[in-house]
Amino acid sequence: MAKTYDYLLKLLLIGDSGVGKTSILFRFSEDAFNISFISTIGIDFKIRTIDLDGKKVKLQIWDTAGQERFRTITTAYYRGSMGIMLVYDVTNEKSFENIKNWIRNIEENASADVEKMILGNKCDLDSKRQVSKERGEQLAIEYQIKFVETSAKDSLNVEYAFFTLARDIKAKMEKKQEASNPAPRSGAHQLRANEQQRKPTSWLSRCSLL
Amino acid sequence: MDDDLPTDFQVIVVGTGMVESIVAAACSRIGKNVLHLDSSDHYGGLWASYNFDGLQKFIKEVNSDPKRQLQVYNLSEKWYIEKDSPQEEKKEEGDENKTDDSKSQPSKKVWSQASFAAEYRKFNIDMTPKLLFSRGPLVELLISSNIARYAEFRCVTRVLTWLDNRLMPVPCSRADVFATEAVSIVEKRMLMKMLTSIVGYNEEEMNNEFKGWNDKTFKEYLEHKGLTPNLIHYVLFAIAGGTNKMPCLEGVKECKKFLMSLGRYGNTPFLWPMYGSGELPQCFCRLCAVFGGVYCLNRPIDKVGTKTVDEGKTVVTIDSKSKTLNCDHLVIGINECPKEMISPEPVESCDISKAVFITNGSIMASEKEPLTLLRFPPLTDEDNTVTVLEVGPATGSCPKGLFVVYFITKKVKDAETDLKPYAERIFDMSGGDQTATSEKPKCLWSVMYNVRDTSACTRSTVDSVHVCSGPDASLDFDRAVSQAEQIFKQICPGEEFLPRAPDPEEIVFEEEVPRGPEFRSDDADAEHNE
Repeated sequence: MAKTYDYLLKLLLIGDSGVGKTSILFRFSEDAFNISFISTIGIDFKIRTIDLDGKKVKLQIWDTAGQERFRTITTAYYRGSMGIMLVYDVTNEKSFENIKNWIRNIEENASADVEKMILGNKCDLDSKRQVSKERGEQLAIEYQIKFVETSAKDSLNVEYAFFTLARDIKAKMEKKQEASNPAPRSGAHQLRANEQQRKPTSWLSRCSLL
Repeated sequence: MDDDLPTDFQVIVVGTGMVESIVAAACSRIGKNVLHLDSSDHYGGLWASYNFDGLQKFIKEVNSDPKRQLQVYNLSEKWYIEKDSPQEEKKEEGDENKTDDSKSQPSKKVWSQASFAAEYRKFNIDMTPKLLFSRGPLVELLISSNIARYAEFRCVTRVLTWLDNRLMPVPCSRADVFATEAVSIVEKRMLMKMLTSIVGYNEEEMNNEFKGWNDKTFKEYLEHKGLTPNLIHYVLFAIAGGTNKMPCLEGVKECKKFLMSLGRYGNTPFLWPMYGSGELPQCFCRLCAVFGGVYCLNRPIDKVGTKTVDEGKTVVTIDSKSKTLNCDHLVIGINECPKEMISPEPVESCDISKAVFITNGSIMASEKEPLTLLRFPPLTDEDNTVTVLEVGPATGSCPKGLFVVYFITKKVKDAETDLKPYAERIFDMSGGDQTATSEKPKCLWSVMYNVRDTSACTRSTVDSVHVCSGPDASLDFDRAVSQAEQIFKQICPGEEFLPRAPDPEEIVFEEEVPRGPEFRSDDADAEHNE
């Protein structure tokens, strides 16, 4: 199969339940907003290919599958991730406080050089706001992470957020590639039914000893 | 935080070991309402992988908690290196060396306990290291269920054996064969005849062919076929993973399994999961969660009971943190299950002796980073085959410059007595100068322990309570997969076991991507709108 992209980036969404991770994902991947779903069922990851400086960048964005609810994200979720969106809800103080815990969780489990960005979601609900924009900015400065307030509902800054994160990762990758030419291949692979399988031959050609 | 945990489920799964996790995924996949709990703060139970910090906690826990010692005992940890690194000037020296020897021989880092601690996150050390046969049931299940997308694998690059007091590669590909002088052309022909027939047999033919061999050993069969001692060694120990006592039919089946898995992914029949075997239960948990399973770790259970509700239906009740949870079916790991619920079956059990070594080099140098399976023939008549797995930094198991080496065998005496003689054959266990060049890699750290064997199928005294076995001593996950399928069929008779989950790409709005036939978004939308 021909590669239809120049870069494949694995991104994660992280944050407390109900902050709107899945809504952000849907807004970005399908430009849709469905207010009725409460927790994440059946959403694994979504894909959108974007154009960045003339390159096709395929974003594979993973949702938590609800495993954040009782803080039971698997270590496997973090493997191979290049960027993480840390999401809180501006109308929920607790979700903002928990960002620090999620950052600790990331430090423990994700690769050390993973790119991060903090999103204060639901900024359309100004009347219910508990966390000011300034506090969000302050936190981001503290951790030296980029920050933006978003509204998945009003489609505010969601595009901007993903493009920014993707651009930062791409820049980092290009820098690395320059440093070590050619780029190292990981060599690990995923299992597929047909790929790599040599044509069904007699086992004799498979078996070595012969 | 856990207080908003719902209380009523169709299926509750306690323990996140391999069998439990597969059952949880399978039930959730076909629409059962599943709660999955674990008493500890991480996934996997005895199937887990730990970073170095987590491993230290595990060791402390086992040594201080008599309850844990019912599962894991005789645990001893040993350091072969200094507490602190030598003075930092070493670094400069190292850099110089680097420029001298260029890429081929990077200067050997001097490791200390402190440098292990500093890089603790780079370790992923398995409690239950296992391989997958490329055409084995777990690989097929991962592919057919689409759970394979949550994991990555590496091919085992070589199979070694111990012959004439040294390590020898077992030829596994045509290229290997040309490279080896260990097998003559006459021997190759002899072997070909025998192996061709083994692979050709179906179950029935096999049983017929070996009718007369029921009470004989595989070795006797190989001798009967006229194989030379060298060939018998390769087939019996390296391919079948057996001993002199291995029953004939078992040996034939093991050979067939090995041969059938050749040529799918790499040079050898085996795959190793990136970041360790502990990732695999988590992959099944992820699928369970994607289909609505609720996850809660750190949730010990206090009591399991049953109650009869109207219409004579039995409900299993679980007391946990002053809450009572109800379910139609309880799936529970054997170590979590109340003793009185396990109906004792007189089964022959054989505990497992295990060891993990961290070394500063491979047991047999090679151009590219190797991933090795070594099956050590028993050194004495009493011993069993010792399975050795050596994994390096490319598998995400350890920092650069190190290797993690697992030893597994059936227990005879205790882990240390059973395994140390084997380790001494391939490692330098004397401590001392790490930079000194020597034939064998230096052992820097080790842990040895015994694990109680809970792999025998166990029944519970209650029909709707299903007990899951712990890890066994075998090389693969086949037993766990088949047990999980059995349990699933008891809970959901007539339902398909882990049908293919749709690809997210099939639900993506992108013009150039054709939608697959299993497009699921209608269902999903319906659920959301309810």
